[in-house]
Amino acid sequence: MREEFRLLIGLQDIDVMIKEAKDKSTSKELQEMGFQLTGLEELQKARKKIADKIPPSLLNRYEKLADHFTVAILPVPGNMCLGCFVKLPTSFFSSAYSHELLTCENCGRLLYIP
Amino acid sequence: MESGKLASFFEEDLCLFSLRSRKKNSVLQEMVRHLNKTGRISDEQFIMEMLKNRESLGSTGLGMGVAFPHGRSLAIQKLTVLFGYSSSGIDFGALDGKPVNIFFLILAPSDKGAETYLALLSELIGVIQKPDKLNKLMKVRDFKSLTEILDGKE
Ligand SMILES: [Zn+2]
Repeated sequence: MREEFRLLIGLQDIDVMIKEAKDKSTSKELQEMGFQLTGLEELQKARKKIADKIPPSLLNRYEKLADHFTVAILPVPGNMCLGCFVKLPTSFFSSAYSHELLTCENCGRLLYIP
Repeated sequence: MESGKLASFFEEDLCLFSLRSRKKNSVLQEMVRHLNKTGRISDEQFIMEMLKNRESLGSTGLGMGVAFPHGRSLAIQKLTVLFGYSSSGIDFGALDGKPVNIFFLILAPSDKGAETYLALLSELIGVIQKPDKLNKLMKVRDFKSLTEILDGKE
């Protein structure tokens, strides 16, 4: 897998975590269970470290998608986009194996073959 | 979550009754490697990074010798739990400073909400808060006894 994809996946994972830590009801639930969520700043630092390595145009594309969707980038384990559940055209797969970063034509999410 | 259903989240080949690692990162690595070997995750490195980031948000060692490393990642397709036991105990930066013997590692997919794993996490914490169950967990060495403790058949 290309390094840029790996960075985007890492960024997506950390963004999901930051969102949870910032979400009032999720963080309240976790704190009531006994977890201390004091290291948000550490997470932000780790996020920046990843984001700085991603080419700005790609990062920009990711950020725009991330504003709309829970996840901006998704693996494609079968033949459909798991974001919008639309079947991907066969042409998609011929380019997928050429290691391009792919886009779902229906919803615009970034896709990769795991 | 219905009572008596907790054990159904556990799988025998995802229960490690003799963890070998002695340090925080290496015990996480040992458990994640096992998930990779058994085909539960698509990438070891993503899961490790996610778990380490989660620990930097705050230790998941809640005290009393139990930790709940958890989080969501693109590298996991369905809610998965791994049980791990270390007889020597591991310094996990737990809230009470005590070494951790019992690990409940919980992974959930990114594209579903946090509620996917929060309910399970809360049920498991409920179990360890019962002193008799915690005592039994500290001595558990096989899958059958583990499921009996979890589901309350004692
Ligand atoms: Zn789509």
